[in-house]
Amino acid sequence: MSIAEIESTELALNAPTGGLWREAWQRLRRNPGAIVGSIFVLTFIVVGIFAPLIARYSPTEVDFNHLPLSCCPGPSSRYWFGQDEVGHDVYSRVIYGARLSLIVGVVSVCVGLSVGFVLGAIAGYVGGVVDTGIMRLMDVMLAIPGLLLAIGIVALELPIPRIYQIMIAVGVTNIPIFARLLRGSILAQRENDFVLAARAVGVRRPTILFGHILPNAISPVIVQATLALATAIIDVAALGFLGLGPEDPATPEWGNMLASAQDYLSAQPLLAIFPGIAIVITVLGFNLIGDALREALDPKLRGRV
Amino acid sequence: MLRFVVRRLLLLLPILIGLSILVFAWIRALPGSPAEALLGERATPANVEAVKHRYGLDKPITTQYADYVKATVSGDLGTSIASRRSVASEIRQRFPTTLQLAFAAMVFAIGAGIPLGYFAAKRYGSWFDHASLFVSLIGVSIPIFFLAVILKYVFAVKLGLLPTVGQISPLIDLEHPTGIYLLDALLTRNWAAFWDVLKHLILPAIALGTIPLAIIARITRAAVLDVQNEDYVRTARAKGLPPTLIDRRHILRNAMLPVSTIIGLQTGLLLSGAVLTETVFAYPGIGSWIANAIFNRDYPVIQGGVLFLAIMFVLVNLLVDVSYAILNPRIRLS
Repeated sequence: MSIAEIESTELALNAPTGGLWREAWQRLRRNPGAIVGSIFVLTFIVVGIFAPLIARYSPTEVDFNHLPLSCCPGPSSRYWFGQDEVGHDVYSRVIYGARLSLIVGVVSVCVGLSVGFVLGAIAGYVGGVVDTGIMRLMDVMLAIPGLLLAIGIVALELPIPRIYQIMIAVGVTNIPIFARLLRGSILAQRENDFVLAARAVGVRRPTILFGHILPNAISPVIVQATLALATAIIDVAALGFLGLGPEDPATPEWGNMLASAQDYLSAQPLLAIFPGIAIVITVLGFNLIGDALREALDPKLRGRV
Repeated sequence: MLRFVVRRLLLLLPILIGLSILVFAWIRALPGSPAEALLGERATPANVEAVKHRYGLDKPITTQYADYVKATVSGDLGTSIASRRSVASEIRQRFPTTLQLAFAAMVFAIGAGIPLGYFAAKRYGSWFDHASLFVSLIGVSIPIFFLAVILKYVFAVKLGLLPTVGQISPLIDLEHPTGIYLLDALLTRNWAAFWDVLKHLILPAIALGTIPLAIIARITRAAVLDVQNEDYVRTARAKGLPPTLIDRRHILRNAMLPVSTIIGLQTGLLLSGAVLTETVFAYPGIGSWIANAIFNRDYPVIQGGVLFLAIMFVLVNLLVDVSYAILNPRIRLS
């Protein structure tokens, strides 16, 4: 350990500490990445929720009257982002695309998080054969490249609308990641002195798990969930791009829009640029927040506000 | 070391068994039988029965699984329903293509990522540092398929410099001693073909290599910043060693440890990205092959292909662990 490190550790020990969350919040507020990320993500969420108010037309409305013979008219005062090859308003479709990405992204991460959380918690806390069984299954799932696994699940054509299949597919690819994370986290917490103390005074097992272990194991999960949202939005768009998006091709979905724009790339590249930029900004926002949260919640940096 | 490798190989076994069951069960859960997919409009009940019998699909499910495992272990992965070729021979033909693409992507990612991260750390806080941070942030946030479309537009549509489809022009002849086109062209001194294959490789390699590039640049930067403040670097400076020597031997070499781990991890993940990249650029590797097989319900291809990819994935990870242990003597293998 260098002198500087020792000094900073001493400083950290002497510094007044609020709760972990208050400290994290203070660090987040000073992180420019977190601020930019929050702006992007908030914009995305607001646009997603209030899409009908922000969009100028219905995303499926077709206007042939202003569609010239050659594809495709670029931005105009009537259509801010131009029109696509069938006469949709691209601006409205990008806006509604945010809504779809938001819903599908959040639901699929919730699916992966909740199932992975339960499996990881059981594996970590129960241990033994249960642990081995669950973790081997997770290993098998991790051995299949994520996108391939998602394609495979959508290809099963379960008797539910395609949009739910996509949520499940993207969610399932997240299960092993959360399960491993939570198990590792719990194993680390289980050996802690405060858990031993709780056990010694006769606290019951569920109370130890929910009251003592989980609250301390949760912060890496929050970081991972934020980053998983970024990946989920890319994966959903990737499925759409590969032709595995919602059944109705008129559904405004960013990946789907990009795929059809490919055919008109030389005539109107903006058709690909708008939905593409929308994906990049959203994903960038979640990545920035995830990174900032990781730094803010790092216990090693505590006290260095 | 040997014990570690053997132990890891043994751990592979339950994964492979689980994987084979998973893939086998999944195939049976897919809607529409392969017999119907194969016959198309000619799918009369009699024809369907005949095809089912030919592919052993009318036997009990446990027998089908036993047959499948027996055949797989002996290296027989079945015959593609679409191309009527053996799956094993298609893998032999396509895997070198994916390997070539993944290798080129990694060369690009390492070749650009390490200098980017290194110089960003050396000029910490400068405009170059900020620029490299921006590049690596965008790099992890841009979807492969969007980047691929942009590359296609700029270099193929606008500038007309590079081809966007396939791995070699159909008019060029090339012998295949290895199956890796770039290597084949080198070995047979076929420079026209070499140039052509290289041109086909550039855009897919950049598209596939951008995510690892961004991550490698970021980790390199962080590692160099970390190592720069170590006591042994300060000692070396105090001794009056030439700065270039300190940079090379004390800083860069030690900073490469975390970088090598991340390179390994990213190499495994390339297989997933290859599915998208190969699809966009119609690159005839394993990824686009399996994606197509899923759409066409080509069961033997999916079965064999996914199993093969997963084995490769696990082997790459094993290789990464072993090479990391060799690189870093501080790690105790237990």
